Amino acid sequence: MTNHTELKDEIERLWPGLVKCRFEGSICNVSCAPVPLAELCGHLFLEWNYSFAGLVVEEEAEWVLHYLFYGEAADGWVHVRVTAPLEEKTFPSIVRFVHAADWHEREAEDLFGVTFEGHPRLGDFVLHDDAWQESVEPMRRGFDAVAAMRQRTPSSDWRPYRIVQEPGAFVMPVGPKFSGVTESVHFLLETVGEDVIRSTPRLFYKWRGIEKLAEGKPVKDVLLLAERFAATTAFAHGLAFCQAVERICHTRVPARARILRVYLAEIERLRQHAGAIQEICESTALVVATSQAGLIEEDLLRISGELTGHRYVFGQLALGGLQRNLSKEACIRALDQSKAALARLNELEKRLRISSSFLDRLEQVGIVQQNTAMVYGLLGPIARASGIARDLRRSQPYLGYENFQFDVPCEVEGDGYARLRVLFAEARQSVRIMEQCVDQLQEGIVREPFEFRQGAELGWVEAPRGGAFHWVRLDDRGIVNRYRIIPPSFANWHGFHLSVEKFAFQDFPIMLSTFDLSVAENDR
Amino acid sequence: MSQWVINGIRRGIKTSAYPARSETAAGVSPGLPIAGDYPSDKVSALVACCPTKVFSEKANRLAVESRLCVHCYRCIHEITLPVSWEVNYEWATFRDGEHNFGQPFARSIHICVVDAGDCGACLNEVKQLNNPYYNMHRLGFFITPTPRHADVLLVVGPVTDHMKFALQKAYDAMPTPKRVIAVGACALTGGVFAESFVCAKGVADVLPVDVEVPGNPPPPLAILHGLLVVTGRKKPV
Amino acid sequence: MDLQTLILIFLLLCGIGILLTLGTPIQIRGKVLVWIGCLSSLVLIWMGAKALLAGEAFMYSLWTLPGLTTLTLRIDHLSAVFLIVTGLVLFPASIFAGSDGGRTFNVMMFALYASIVLVLIAGDAVLLLLAWEAMSILCYLFIVCARQKENGYAGSGYLLLTMGETGTVASALSFLLLAVGAGTLDFGGIKASSADFGMGMRWMVFLLSFFGFGVKAGLVPVNFWLPRAYVSAPNAFVPVLAGATLNLGLYGILRVNADLLPAVSAGPGLLAIVVGTLTALVGILYATTDNDLKLMLAHSSIENAGIMTAAFGAGMVFVATHHPVPAAIAFTAGLYHLANHSCYKALLFFGAGAVEAQTGSRDMDKLGGLVKWMPVAAASFLVGTLSIAALPPFNGFVSEWLTLQTMLRSSELSSQTAKIIFAVCGAGLALTAALAVTCFVKVYAMTFLGMRRLNSNQHVAEPNKSTQVSLLILALLCLLLGVLPTYVIPALGAAVNPMAGASAADALVPPFFAASADHAALPPDFAKDFHNLGAQVGEGIAPGRGLVVLHRGGASNPVVFAMSTAYMFVALLVLLFVVWVVIRVWLTSQRKLARQPRWDGGVRRLLPEMTYTATGFSNPVRVIFNAVFRPTTVEDTRETVAEHFRTAIRRDQERIHLVDKIILLPVGAAVMWCARTLATMHHGRFNAYAAYTLLALLVVLVVFLLLLTG
Repeated sequence: MTNHTELKDEIERLWPGLVKCRFEGSICNVSCAPVPLAELCGHLFLEWNYSFAGLVVEEEAEWVLHYLFYGEAADGWVHVRVTAPLEEKTFPSIVRFVHAADWHEREAEDLFGVTFEGHPRLGDFVLHDDAWQESVEPMRRGFDAVAAMRQRTPSSDWRPYRIVQEPGAFVMPVGPKFSGVTESVHFLLETVGEDVIRSTPRLFYKWRGIEKLAEGKPVKDVLLLAERFAATTAFAHGLAFCQAVERICHTRVPARARILRVYLAEIERLRQHAGAIQEICESTALVVATSQAGLIEEDLLRISGELTGHRYVFGQLALGGLQRNLSKEACIRALDQSKAALARLNELEKRLRISSSFLDRLEQVGIVQQNTAMVYGLLGPIARASGIARDLRRSQPYLGYENFQFDVPCEVEGDGYARLRVLFAEARQSVRIMEQCVDQLQEGIVREPFEFRQGAELGWVEAPRGGAFHWVRLDDRGIVNRYRIIPPSFANWHGFHLSVEKFAFQDFPIMLSTFDLSVAENDR
Repeated sequence: MSQWVINGIRRGIKTSAYPARSETAAGVSPGLPIAGDYPSDKVSALVACCPTKVFSEKANRLAVESRLCVHCYRCIHEITLPVSWEVNYEWATFRDGEHNFGQPFARSIHICVVDAGDCGACLNEVKQLNNPYYNMHRLGFFITPTPRHADVLLVVGPVTDHMKFALQKAYDAMPTPKRVIAVGACALTGGVFAESFVCAKGVADVLPVDVEVPGNPPPPLAILHGLLVVTGRKKPV
Repeated sequence: MDLQTLILIFLLLCGIGILLTLGTPIQIRGKVLVWIGCLSSLVLIWMGAKALLAGEAFMYSLWTLPGLTTLTLRIDHLSAVFLIVTGLVLFPASIFAGSDGGRTFNVMMFALYASIVLVLIAGDAVLLLLAWEAMSILCYLFIVCARQKENGYAGSGYLLLTMGETGTVASALSFLLLAVGAGTLDFGGIKASSADFGMGMRWMVFLLSFFGFGVKAGLVPVNFWLPRAYVSAPNAFVPVLAGATLNLGLYGILRVNADLLPAVSAGPGLLAIVVGTLTALVGILYATTDNDLKLMLAHSSIENAGIMTAAFGAGMVFVATHHPVPAAIAFTAGLYHLANHSCYKALLFFGAGAVEAQTGSRDMDKLGGLVKWMPVAAASFLVGTLSIAALPPFNGFVSEWLTLQTMLRSSELSSQTAKIIFAVCGAGLALTAALAVTCFVKVYAMTFLGMRRLNSNQHVAEPNKSTQVSLLILALLCLLLGVLPTYVIPALGAAVNPMAGASAADALVPPFFAASADHAALPPDFAKDFHNLGAQVGEGIAPGRGLVVLHRGGASNPVVFAMSTAYMFVALLVLLFVVWVVIRVWLTSQRKLARQPRWDGGVRRLLPEMTYTATGFSNPVRVIFNAVFRPTTVEDTRETVAEHFRTAIRRDQERIHLVDKIILLPVGAAVMWCARTLATMHHGRFNAYAAYTLLALLVVLVVFLLLLTG
């Protein structure tokens, strides 16, 4: 739909009386009755080419579920709202049409106790069935954490969820502690010996309950949480949170702060992509390339550390701007150093392109088809490697990204090599944006004071791993009422199993590294 | 293949001279606040502004509990009189356990790294220990995937509820003598997640910790210092 | 007591056994039968030993059949070896079988004992064939009467009978040809005139006897009955099948082609090597990828029969090309492997039977962790698997090693073709040995080690005392045959020497003990070198020639190959003892030994379905040899719910045995086609039947007329 009015007319024509549209800037708020919910979301996702950002469940006087959809810049946002009284905890599931909502509904069921009718597999998601009993609903308002922790009666007959029925098939458990230095995640690989027929990751071993922890805290402290729950992309998440709050409070971020924010976001993207490339080289055991990529990543960490004082760019953001000003000289110096690092990264790429033993491990391995990637709602470089050229900096620009010139690299093969190429290409674009930042940098302050207002908004950012969405509800004292984080790794972990199926065990760690997934980000 | 060899040799040696000499490159450490004598209004301002209660007043001086620092930098930027800052990296201390690991482990140990809910930064810093800049292999530190072969258990993260059992199992699976080194503010005190109902307040709630390395995250050199402390090759702070 | 009396006693005991089975009350039947069976096997061993030590063959004439021949008994050294091996297998088999209490098959068991022995001591073709028939039919009856729960038991029994009869017909034809050529059915007579046979006749006799007796031995084109029959046979009977009747097939081959009509051209021997290697490869491939304990052991029996045949074939080639010493080594290797196979295969089948009795399952994918509940059975089974995988110091190592060394002796041949065949088949046998290790690691690990996959309410315990005793006896035999090859080889030499024309003992076991440094049989400096190495250690304790198996070449190559399992065994014990001492005394005195659960990555509970299955373990072999197996996909469906949720992936493959595909199914289809075509004759019309009768009469008249005139 190129026009919100067209969209409104079409929606009201298809489901007369059951939906109501209201515009707020670029957002079309659709209040929907439960009955046509699945169809409406299906139409948005499948026919009108919107992407599904996520599901936000709020427990107010009644249940309020927000289904967030976004399209290209002209299409804007569509927030579909469904409400129900608190005693009624069943909603229709939209997974039949919007498969990307699969894990969102499962998480809502585990944490809130809300059921989605028509979802074939609810349960044993965030709260593992062999660790918690069914009645625990931690995100409810009246949740008694002490009592819940004291009486734990998990089910004793938990069995892994098995799909493969073949004589001699078994489930190979990997983790939660596995390999050398890896995040804690449990894989259940169904196999008959050599090939992985089906892989089911069991996540949320690192669930820290961030969303619950944030409730009732002042916004400044929640910013600390936003930065530190997935610290390898700390700035991006902090930025998304700040944008949400600034949108609620109608804050005007000073121009210098905006450009410096873009600069810091891009330097973080460059560093994270170098880290991902290092992981890929390490997984294929190409030792010299791993060391060279490691040098580049450490250089970028040091550049970030020298520029901002912290290697992972903690503590730079403040609500309404930045916590500290960066001098133009420092920015230019960091830019020159980054360019030198990029030159070495380009050299590395040239050399990797002609290493046949390396390419053998990546080419034609771990293929994710474009339509499958679309159905699963994959985000970030891996989606762009499968031909889905969507980047939030382009489609829903923030921080003035529309004033910058950059390409959104895209590949179509969807295999490991395509993902690697996208990472290299995006690194180059990041430096390009950084150059433009330095050119466009104006003098001025980096922070403006503002008043808190009541409201709820979505903040979004194209984090290095894909689009991150933070939904914040504030009250007028600046206390966070509800904080919902939808990280890019959530969608990408959902689709990870697509790439490893039908490939041998030896390809598994390589595919894992090409997906550049973060468990900490997913588990929150 | 030869292109890699030639390229590697051309790159040269980048390894840091630490621990023989201190590392002076920029950006290797986020630093920590320094305790000291400050005017009392500054002290109370600092005590009030820190979200994790790093600062306290002891005998009219500013006391710094660096284990609690989460590097929010409010004490530098959100305050009129910023605290003094040191950009060092030798931060490891003994908790209160046995200090002597013994001669067999002085020159080489195997480390099992368990991620008990960490945000990714501490783990990434541990990963950097293997890059050519730090190259922990030259100091005899090796990472092993299984606790059965490990001498030291390196834990990051505030020990989430789901990982408690796995962490305990990993510790039990290690043969004695063994040591535990907790790395990062979350592993020491729970960090910013200390109040969460599914997080323990640090590894010490679950396992006996021997060496603590503060920081959020501690830079690779600090972790290296921690490992040198655990093997007795360097003095703790 | 002379041999005549011993034979009489043995047959008498078998008869008493049959009567007692029918007569005694069921409470004491088991015990009585065990005693009778053990006694008869001991008599058998005594008989064999006595015959082995005798200088010349024992002969005894029975009745004369008019028009045919006098039935004679003849025990020469070859028979003696087979008698001893059979007795060694039947002894624990009797103990095991009697423990079931009395059942119908015990009557047949004693009858089977008698028929096996008669085959081995027959001195003329008629007695041998009669006894062979009896043995064949008794095997069939065993399978059919025991009413196993397998669905296809009737079919497999019938297939066994059919193939058995086909083999008997072929062997009978070969004996007939021999009789036509020699003018007598008596073995002595045939042997005397063996030089008169022409090439064509020799080839016919070889092919008919090789594939005829090869049916029972389990050689490749004619062995498709074997896996089915072994699986359907009752658990107490299969070891006898594998350990005694399989040997009879090889006995038949050896008797005709190495004793009665020794080879004069290399062709038959080379064919035997090739067939043997193919049999071994096919057998071990299917054994490695099978999950049913009994079926897998049946395929493994096929593999071992192939190895033995290859060794015998090599012997025949060496005999034909006038290399007596390598021939002696080859025949020794083959006979040694035969003895070993009987021991460890019987042991493995008893173990499998014990496992099935305790757990109710033979599927390795469903077993596991049994070592905790059946330690004795597990330990004996371990000895069996180590032996069959040819690991020192057990017996499989000696015979496998000797067989491979034989194949290397091809350097002494002059013909290029023969050398190439030896080289390729030697490599094939080496591949077989490697696959056998994989196969039996899988068997032992999946059945006894790892996590228990059975239901928790299935009660598993150590099998009863008789089973344990039979297992332990065989395990001990495996060890002894492995550690003391220098005593076995001269014993086998008595049988080998007349076939090969050279002394096996002299070729393989030089007299280190018996000789001082100046013994005439060894050149003095050679003996001195070995005495310096310590080859005479053990002298005074161990009688005989020494504990080293060594083959000497000429002056340029003094030691072609050598090994000593006895010294290896001692060294192994010493090493284990030292390790034990170090651990007990040194290490654990300073540290405590802690027992912790296995490290599994930190999962909350490791479930049995998370451990490797037998199918998974052997999957690489299945994938690599896909061209041999050629499985067909029976099912490959995916079930999806709500458009995108995969809820089931169902895959199943079916594979038909290679030999079945090539031989059984086409032959079966052809026979069915013939039957169907001929069945069109049976349409019920009376007039046509009258016409058939008339036609038959006409044909007979015509033939009679021709015979009269011609």
